[in-house]
Amino acid sequence: MINIRRAVPWVVGGLVVLGTVCTATRGYVRRQMPLTRGDSLWRLTYSVEFRARKAGAKVLVGVPADTRRARVYRQDLIYTGLDPVRSRPSRASNREVELVALRRGPYTLTARFDFHLSPRELSRSAEPSGQPSAEDRAAWLRGTKTIQVASPPVAEVLASLRREGARPADLVERLFEYCTSEIESGDNDAPQDAAGVLTAKRGTPLGRARALVALCRAGKVPARLVAGFEIQAGEEVRPRVWVETLTNHHWDSFDPVDGYSHELPHTFVPVRRDGTEIVRLTDAEQAAVTFSLVRLPPSPGIFRSGVRAHPLEILDLTRLPLEMHDVLAVILLMPLGALVTAVFRTVIGVSTFGTFTPTLLALAFVYNDWRTGIFTFVVTLGLGLVSRSLLDRLKLLMVPRLSVVLTLVVWCIIFSLSLLDYFHVASSTQAVLLPMVILTMTIERFYLTTEEDGPRYAVQLMAGTTVVAACCYAILRWNEVGDLLLAFPELHLFTMAALVLLGRYTGYRLSELRRFRDFLKTET
Amino acid sequence: MSRTARQFWAWPAQLRRHGVLGINARNADYVLCRNPRAHYPRVDDKLLTKQICETHGIPVPATYRVIEKAGDIAKFADLVRDRPEFVVKPAKGAEGRGILVVAEHDTAEFVTSSGERLPLADVQYHLSTILSGLYSLAGQPDRAIVEQRIVRHAAFDRVAVGGTPDIRVVLYRCVPVMAMVRLPTRASRGRANLHQGAVAAAVHLGTGVTFGGVCQNRAMENHPDTSEPIAGLAIPSWDALLAAAMNLAEKLEMGYLGVDFVLDATAGPVVLEANARPGLAIQLANRRGLLPRLKRVDAEPEGAIPPERRRELAVILAEL
Repeated sequence: MINIRRAVPWVVGGLVVLGTVCTATRGYVRRQMPLTRGDSLWRLTYSVEFRARKAGAKVLVGVPADTRRARVYRQDLIYTGLDPVRSRPSRASNREVELVALRRGPYTLTARFDFHLSPRELSRSAEPSGQPSAEDRAAWLRGTKTIQVASPPVAEVLASLRREGARPADLVERLFEYCTSEIESGDNDAPQDAAGVLTAKRGTPLGRARALVALCRAGKVPARLVAGFEIQAGEEVRPRVWVETLTNHHWDSFDPVDGYSHELPHTFVPVRRDGTEIVRLTDAEQAAVTFSLVRLPPSPGIFRSGVRAHPLEILDLTRLPLEMHDVLAVILLMPLGALVTAVFRTVIGVSTFGTFTPTLLALAFVYNDWRTGIFTFVVTLGLGLVSRSLLDRLKLLMVPRLSVVLTLVVWCIIFSLSLLDYFHVASSTQAVLLPMVILTMTIERFYLTTEEDGPRYAVQLMAGTTVVAACCYAILRWNEVGDLLLAFPELHLFTMAALVLLGRYTGYRLSELRRFRDFLKTET
Repeated sequence: MSRTARQFWAWPAQLRRHGVLGINARNADYVLCRNPRAHYPRVDDKLLTKQICETHGIPVPATYRVIEKAGDIAKFADLVRDRPEFVVKPAKGAEGRGILVVAEHDTAEFVTSSGERLPLADVQYHLSTILSGLYSLAGQPDRAIVEQRIVRHAAFDRVAVGGTPDIRVVLYRCVPVMAMVRLPTRASRGRANLHQGAVAAAVHLGTGVTFGGVCQNRAMENHPDTSEPIAGLAIPSWDALLAAAMNLAEKLEMGYLGVDFVLDATAGPVVLEANARPGLAIQLANRRGLLPRLKRVDAEPEGAIPPERRRELAVILAEL
């Protein structure tokens, strides 16, 4: 006992010192990392304004793709009244965020992407691979309204440039030469479609790109348009369009406007392949999309050697793909949720159903819209309790009885979802995956507590569970701390120090100050 | 500090002055430090506790049957045919849950001590819920004990409503440090469990006479149902009870322990169960905190305290 008393401050002190050392080391290493010449950080911002003509209007926001020399390390979307939808990957595997308007009316949306641009290779596998399916290949050879593959001007130009026995790559080279040197660049009144451009020998940047795509496709080389940005300092940023062609299982890039071929400068960041719009809207009017680009101050921690990663980089969580960051941040916030639970139980003396039930409920609400979550939770709990008390008359054995309740819980969750969807409160693709086993056990415990200790105590436990869950929810939603923990996961050494201290907290719980209040009666 | 604030809560300094042991301190400083995890089954499993008691001559209610398999449930009416009255309880139950007291029965119908009539099927269902672990601590499969029903000692007739009172002795390092008698009320539905609404009176360690009292965490001098004073009752066979408690604590090898007794009209004090985390309301019943007594025991040299010394200490502690 005496040993423990002595050991605890040492353990806590050790954890704090270790935490400080680890955090400081990481901070120092980040700062000391060599700043490679030419590396830069940028923030690209889209501001979107539109009026939804009806509920269900969609916004598809293109996310800048990672290339070998550009990497998005952070993305933020700011909006209200829109509901994010998990979208299926498109043919060209574009990254995009799909949002649905919950009702008609005006909306604004801001999307921010911070990325790292380097003249060196940051990673090898970021480029799209050139192994399309037959169906995709056919789509990249087909004509469209503005890319008139079968039109006479296209056939004419192609015939004049085609040589017998030439390889596709050589043909593409000639076609590109033609589009850069023979076609003049024109203003906004110049033709925009492939046939028009080839006839007039003049075209807008988009028109010239379409002309090249049409010629390639007519020459049986799969080709597509790419919309993206050229990253450079400047007042106004406008998306650019260029062309990608597939030869020898490899996509090559061509920019007929500035004449870059095969390899574009590292400042070109593609956003949407096989398309021309960065932000797409459906059922919307009065849409205004503006873009801005600012250079961020250098933050050496972001710059990494990339290609041949040092094993020590396993310790760097920020290097993991952007898509994983949110999930990782929430997982890293879980110990803080547990810390909150520990404070509530040992310092305040709030009792709950199950130790980590509140934390798990909060976690489920973080992954969903909390209103949908609470609605589903209350409905499930209510119906579950009613059916549990009816079920009691059947005198079922425990495991089958719990399984019946579980089945009812599943039904409740599924039909609550369906109901919410019917009233357009939430989109159906957004599943409310409440922890069903936890809910089942909560129903069972609530019922047993009501029977054995009275409804008052059961409600008290439920209230405690709700309060702790709400606090855990607030913690788990704390993005800034989540990002910080992602950068410095060793900060949890401090969490552990706090938990060890709490574990040896022998003071009175707040609830005991009330419980033992009658000791004062003996005091007079 | 206003006068009204005092009625709603006590300040930590005030509780400290009274030596009140809080739940965190109990767990961190006493339960975790003095009760080896490996010995928990000895108190959590009542069958094991009973076995240890029987081996060392500590009186317990006689075990009639142990129901372990679903097959035994089917034969239940046969198994208890020759026992007019008995108690069914889960071996690993907590807080008096899942206990069924049968006062009389025939093969088809069972009458509980509270007069409720249960068909055989209901009793069998109750047994199956016990076996499936509904009342056991972590929900593990359990066994049901069928044992002798205790006949209430006449000493408590006027202050026990609907059930049998029990006597809790808290021991630290095998020294009795505090005791109370828990009396069932209507609110507790015959169960002698404080958090379900039973009333408790402190028992003086030296004399075995009751004083003080608590109900629902409030100081209370009279039984809430009968309005009889609960102080001034002498517990019969007090010395034998204390001796049995000390003996059991030693055999269980648990440093911080609560032992529950019931007084049988003929056999005297018999051990009902032991508890590795005895509750703290006993302090309210005593109007005294546990801490000064625990510290006094810790002032004794580390190691086993001889039995004669323990008895002396109990008397000294009673005055702290």
